[in-house]
Amino acid sequence: MIKISFFLVLLIFSLYSKELVVIGDKNFPRSSLSRSEIRAIFLDKKRFIEKEKILVMNYKVNHPLRLCFEKNILEKTERSLERYWRKAYYQGKRPPKIVSSINMLFLYFDSVHPAIGYSDFNNTINQDVVILYRVECII
Amino acid sequence: MYTKTYYMVLISSCFLFANEYGGYGWNIANSSLNIGGYLDMTYDQDREDKFLFNDIAMLFSATKNRFDLLGEVELSHISLDGKRDRSSDVDLNIERLQLGYALSDKLTINIGRFNSDIGYWNQAPIPILQDTTTQPHIISNLFPKATTGLLFRENINENNSFSITLQDNKDIGHQDNSMKINRHFGMAYHGIKDDLSWRFSVGRYRDSRDMIASYYIGIGSEYDIEDFSIQAEFFTQNSKKRDDKPYSGYFQSTWHFKESQDGVIRFESYDDNAIDIKEQIYLFGYAYRPTNNIAFKAEYIYYSKQPLSRYVYSLSVLF
Repeated sequence: MIKISFFLVLLIFSLYSKELVVIGDKNFPRSSLSRSEIRAIFLDKKRFIEKEKILVMNYKVNHPLRLCFEKNILEKTERSLERYWRKAYYQGKRPPKIVSSINMLFLYFDSVHPAIGYSDFNNTINQDVVILYRVECII
Repeated sequence: MYTKTYYMVLISSCFLFANEYGGYGWNIANSSLNIGGYLDMTYDQDREDKFLFNDIAMLFSATKNRFDLLGEVELSHISLDGKRDRSSDVDLNIERLQLGYALSDKLTINIGRFNSDIGYWNQAPIPILQDTTTQPHIISNLFPKATTGLLFRENINENNSFSITLQDNKDIGHQDNSMKINRHFGMAYHGIKDDLSWRFSVGRYRDSRDMIASYYIGIGSEYDIEDFSIQAEFFTQNSKKRDDKPYSGYFQSTWHFKESQDGVIRFESYDDNAIDIKEQIYLFGYAYRPTNNIAFKAEYIYYSKQPLSRYVYSLSVLF
């Protein structure tokens, strides 16, 4: 009975777990970023990398990838993000550009450099992007 | 005339809440310009005009390559009959007007009038961004709330930053209360480690009326988790004018006990030689945020010495 339960838990975990990857355009000036650097970029605390301004892209509120990103990379809840961006707006900071789909993210990657966003790993196969950071997320 | 306009702004702005975090204001098409604002309406038992539009402000910002522009223009203390401080003249104040330039990936310079980079509260000194309507004594009493000059900020890394503030000229705006300065030199350090952060500030400013200098030094810390936060700041100020403030500090805790609802307590203590009093203040407050851009707040403030104990209520909107 215990073995069956354990097997079921593993099965559910494998079905619902995804690898989220933070990605940059093919000419992104760095080959990897730390989690704190990514947090700083997506919270508009760091705007430049290697002297170039970064285009930062995010998905709409409640997008499954965004929920995973906010929980596992930004490590912030909806309420703390609301509080953060209220103050940030007053200080002249702006949230990332919203893209409606992963395809749109890749379109921006073709035309703007340096640009950064995130996706689930499977969608980046055969795409000309730089994987900057990986994190496992359970939806 | 003005009153109707204010009410229209108040009512219409309440519906301008954004689904997207930080998506406030209007982005002007084909430009990087964003225009928004905020307003606060308060009921304070202690004032002659109990109902006041405390602040009505316009915020604007723009960014282009390495440049950033940020402005805040404000009308304040307007009574319900549309008059400002019992005068019929409408007075606009430049709260902030600053142009920033990124000198490198880590170093930025700002020129203009900006909120002094001192302490926690002064980074966001408007009611909609705070959990209480009233401000602690350190604001406007211990150090200049705003500076007209230069601000250099270096982000040492993602979690540590350092800034230098310089002013040696007239102020282009109005300072709150009695602080009018024409010189200011300040240094500040800010560090973050997970949910804990801390700030250290030190500086010197000169009063433009008597040209006497004052010095201040302060520390602060904040612990902020999902349902609970604590913020504390402690400053001391020294002056040759015999109006120094040997100490002024507060401890404030906010408990997010229910969806959209917060309970707040604040304990404050100061020794102010300008008014020759050692005061202790206790605050008990409640805040309700039905949407991310509106806050209703109620608080009771108890003063141990001065006859200023009272209830204060407010409605504030960010748009």
